Amino acid sequence: MTELLVKNAFVIDPLNGIRGEVMDIAVRDGWIVESVGDGAEVIDAAGCLTLPGGIDSHTHICGTKVNFGRYMMPEDMRAGRTQRRGVMHSTSGYSVPTTYGNSYRYCAMGYTSVLEGAMAPLEARHTHEEFAATPLQDTMANTLFDGNWPVMEAVRDGDVKRAAAIVAWTLAAVKGFAIKLTNPGGSECWGWGKNVHCIREMVPYFGVSPAEIIQTLIRANEMLRLPHSVHLHCNNLGVPGNYTCTIGSMDLAPDLNPDRQSLYLTHVQFHAYGGTSWKDICSKAEPVAYTVNRKPQITIDMGQMMFGKTTTMTADGPMEFNLYRLHHNKWSNHDVELETTSGIIPVYYSRTSVVNCVMWAIGLELALLVKNPWQCLLATDNPNGGPFIKYPEIIALLMSRRYREEELKTLAPGTHSRITLPSLDRELDWHDIAVMTRAGQARALGIRSIGKGHLAPGAEADIAIYPIRVDKTDPSRQYREVIQAFQKTAWTVKRGRPVARDGEILVPGVNKTIWARAKVREELDMGRDPEFARNFDRYYTVRMSNYPVQDVYLQRSLCMESEAQL
Amino acid sequence: MIVRDVICPFCACLCDDLDVHVEDGRVTGVDNACDLGSHKFMTDHRMKGPVRRTASGWEEIPLEEAIRETAELLEAAERPLLYGWSGTCGEAQSAGVHLAELVGGVIDATTSVCHGPSILAIQEVGHPGCTLGQVKNRADVVVYWGCNPQHAHPRHLSRYTTYADGFFVRNAFKERKVIVADIRGTDSTNLADEFIRLQPGGDYAVLGALRAIVRGKGDVVPPEVAGVSREQLYRIADLCKTAKYGAFFFGMGLTQTAGKYKNIRNAIELVDELSRHTKWTLTPMRGHFNVYGFNEVCTWMTGYPYAVDFARGMAFYNPGETTAVDILARKECDMCLVVASDPAAHFPAEAVEHLASIPVVQLDPFPNLTTAFARIQIPVAVSGIDADGTAYRMDGVPLRLHRVLDRGYPDDAGILLEITRRITGGGSR
Amino acid sequence: MILNTGRTIPQGNSVEYKPSPEYGAETSRAFLAPLDLMDLGIEDGDRIRISCGDRSVVLTVSAGDHVPPGTLFVPYGAHANHVVPAATHGTGMPDFKGISVDVEPATDPVRSVWDLMEDLGGRRY
Repeated sequence: MTELLVKNAFVIDPLNGIRGEVMDIAVRDGWIVESVGDGAEVIDAAGCLTLPGGIDSHTHICGTKVNFGRYMMPEDMRAGRTQRRGVMHSTSGYSVPTTYGNSYRYCAMGYTSVLEGAMAPLEARHTHEEFAATPLQDTMANTLFDGNWPVMEAVRDGDVKRAAAIVAWTLAAVKGFAIKLTNPGGSECWGWGKNVHCIREMVPYFGVSPAEIIQTLIRANEMLRLPHSVHLHCNNLGVPGNYTCTIGSMDLAPDLNPDRQSLYLTHVQFHAYGGTSWKDICSKAEPVAYTVNRKPQITIDMGQMMFGKTTTMTADGPMEFNLYRLHHNKWSNHDVELETTSGIIPVYYSRTSVVNCVMWAIGLELALLVKNPWQCLLATDNPNGGPFIKYPEIIALLMSRRYREEELKTLAPGTHSRITLPSLDRELDWHDIAVMTRAGQARALGIRSIGKGHLAPGAEADIAIYPIRVDKTDPSRQYREVIQAFQKTAWTVKRGRPVARDGEILVPGVNKTIWARAKVREELDMGRDPEFARNFDRYYTVRMSNYPVQDVYLQRSLCMESEAQL
Repeated sequence: MIVRDVICPFCACLCDDLDVHVEDGRVTGVDNACDLGSHKFMTDHRMKGPVRRTASGWEEIPLEEAIRETAELLEAAERPLLYGWSGTCGEAQSAGVHLAELVGGVIDATTSVCHGPSILAIQEVGHPGCTLGQVKNRADVVVYWGCNPQHAHPRHLSRYTTYADGFFVRNAFKERKVIVADIRGTDSTNLADEFIRLQPGGDYAVLGALRAIVRGKGDVVPPEVAGVSREQLYRIADLCKTAKYGAFFFGMGLTQTAGKYKNIRNAIELVDELSRHTKWTLTPMRGHFNVYGFNEVCTWMTGYPYAVDFARGMAFYNPGETTAVDILARKECDMCLVVASDPAAHFPAEAVEHLASIPVVQLDPFPNLTTAFARIQIPVAVSGIDADGTAYRMDGVPLRLHRVLDRGYPDDAGILLEITRRITGGGSR
Repeated sequence: MILNTGRTIPQGNSVEYKPSPEYGAETSRAFLAPLDLMDLGIEDGDRIRISCGDRSVVLTVSAGDHVPPGTLFVPYGAHANHVVPAATHGTGMPDFKGISVDVEPATDPVRSVWDLMEDLGGRRY
């Protein structure tokens, strides 16, 4: 038995209605309990801000395309090197760090759980191998179904149950966590070098539209009673005028689940553009946020863009090719048979570019215009909008109008007329930030039930203690202190163990992977479906028996089971 | 007993439909494999146990002693080179990278003498690729450039291209055009609808000419380019542009000839150019069954695919400097651990010579030419036959190799972890 | 002449057991265009010595229609590597193809792979 007592913590724990109280947190064997004995190890938080461990609900840190980003960019690897030290392995990389680099840097920022935003089922084993080398976070994988042939056939046939059954089989086979749709239907088109541009266009041969794929899978998801909702990367990312497509996608979502959203839209900054070309691009954060405000069934994340060098990587293959034709830098693409695609290009977001300045403003506008922080979570679509190490700056921008004004002065001329940010007075408070960086994620991902995102007895003891006194700090003025505090915890506690102290990693750690299995009736088990098996072995280049990810790939495995209602 | 859907641990096609017959702890037959794969399963010339070189011959030594001595040699070395890795599983590769970091050594894979130049080109211009099923289901034009799949990847054509019927290509043999570029006639060029026979060293020029034509700048192309007529070049450019889906495969005919990575860069940029007209992808024909796996493992652990130098405590990468042939030819390393490869057979003599003057330890199931330079050799289980683990196909698809029998040998990962434990004094986790 | 090396089925078949006679026999073959054999005044099955700098090796000749005149093809292995220079021009990759070599008829026997290894300071197993 190991016990830990965090004393004098200034706790904000939104899921339990705690908005800032000095209290002690007792931990036994990795879990938060009512009290511990006198022999417990003690951490004195000294009145510092103490939050549940951070959760990133959309980041790209592990798997085929992430690793290809590293592989093709030795220049990025050289831009962020650290030596082997104590229990820490050497690390490389700035925007796409090595697995250890990601893990240590997230840990130092108090993040203890992360969701990889896109995993191709066929290459799931790769993602799990990298998860195993990401030792200080619990990990989950969004699983791509945007161009899945059997799913599209079921959608075409109007067979929601079969679509659900295919999802259930696939998630269990690849140990995935949730349904991810990236540019639904567009991935299949990209197999022919083409794309769909909004939700009503048809996918060649399969005769389905993105809207039909989205609607069917939202219903299938709820039938399977999966922890998370459908996780959508809308069609037409990064194209001026795309906000109508985004709002159209939001309008597809019924309100089916009382505990969380029915549709999660990710990196919405990239999907809230007005105008007709790069010349007249402008912010449409207002109508998008307005739509979110009147739809409790929607949750979004910001997809904030931050200035500087980074790498774009997404399962949206055609978008990356278009970006390549703009930037003329290097371009990688990877199409995955029967399933999906992906692309990668390095980018530099510059304050001298009006387009980039508008993008920067849109992300912040979304967070300030969405009234309920539970509906707009903080993320950059790491590393697409910028590496996650920029989160502290985003927090400060949201908490300080003064900081925003300082930054607005540095933007390219011509930006102000295209954005509404200068007119927004709202300053988020500490509680809002706690919601947008952990509690909201726990609710949106449906992992509160396994003890994530809160600090009441029964919660897993993932705790972040930031070196800042809420009672002595005015974030509106002291935004530099806010940035500094969120960059490096005083302590990060993972599974009841102190794992980082002032940014130094203390233990090697062992990753845990959370995945979802919906139990379906035997006649809907695709593992026994002759047509599914026949087509699998005919069109994949991997035998169905060699496809599932073996248990050995998960060092610690937490399967969230549900009883499907099919 | 028949073990079904076994994955072949020979080349990076990783065919996963083999039926392996096992009786009394031996493989008695293999169905569905090519000649190369069958031979690997049926070969039985394994070394019995660890051996150490003596003044006059070889002596058998206990495993324990072999491991202890290897650990001591690694610890004592100032600049150890850990080389090989393409013939073993990801788990062993991962242990190898950690070990290299621990001892401050250089780790390099056979990549540096096969598709290292492809990686250098990709680092310049990127890589438009796909999994092989995309080619099988969609491609109506396939290019093999500087490679001879009939000999190096014998089932590549039947599983993924010429003879592989797919969803949108119902009769592949009829509907799929094959273009082969080589300097000599081979069993693969014999199958080609178009054989581009180029003069040795002419690849860069011919690829450049094709790019010019695809770009609409064909007027700069002379009547003949490196032995290839302008007429044929136009015909091929047209075939490529009007394809519904084109797939470009290439091999060491591009990576090992003069120009090296610049040849591949030109091929990638041809595919980029074609992508503006229709769908094209490109795939290096990776050789050893898990050479790509090493690149993946090494990349997520260190940031670089191969040739990583840990001498300064962080990962440093500079092919041409930190690559095995260069380090050996410069006589720079003072110890060499060879795992799952045979540099003595595959490196130029000048590099091999240095192996004779430093301690060499080899982990390999079989005696090979590097054995001739080994102070110690530890025979291990064969990955994919009597050891399981992860391997990455040439297109990046990761598979779990089967263990179809037990011959009582330890596996690479186990030995490497044990060596690591010796060096850290047991507290690696 | 220009030396090119490459993989072949017989070389691949014996690659896991290189001490075998089959491996040595395959990697010590040189394929030349029939025209070049005539020029050299030799026939299929005769031997040649190829040299590059101060290194040389003896190989058995096979006539190959598929080989362009002026070039020779040798299956990838210890024999060809006996003359391949180690320079990588800063790429990590030696020139395994397109190497300029001198070729002359030879009467010396073809050395086994173990002989070659011992020439380089190794010891046969």
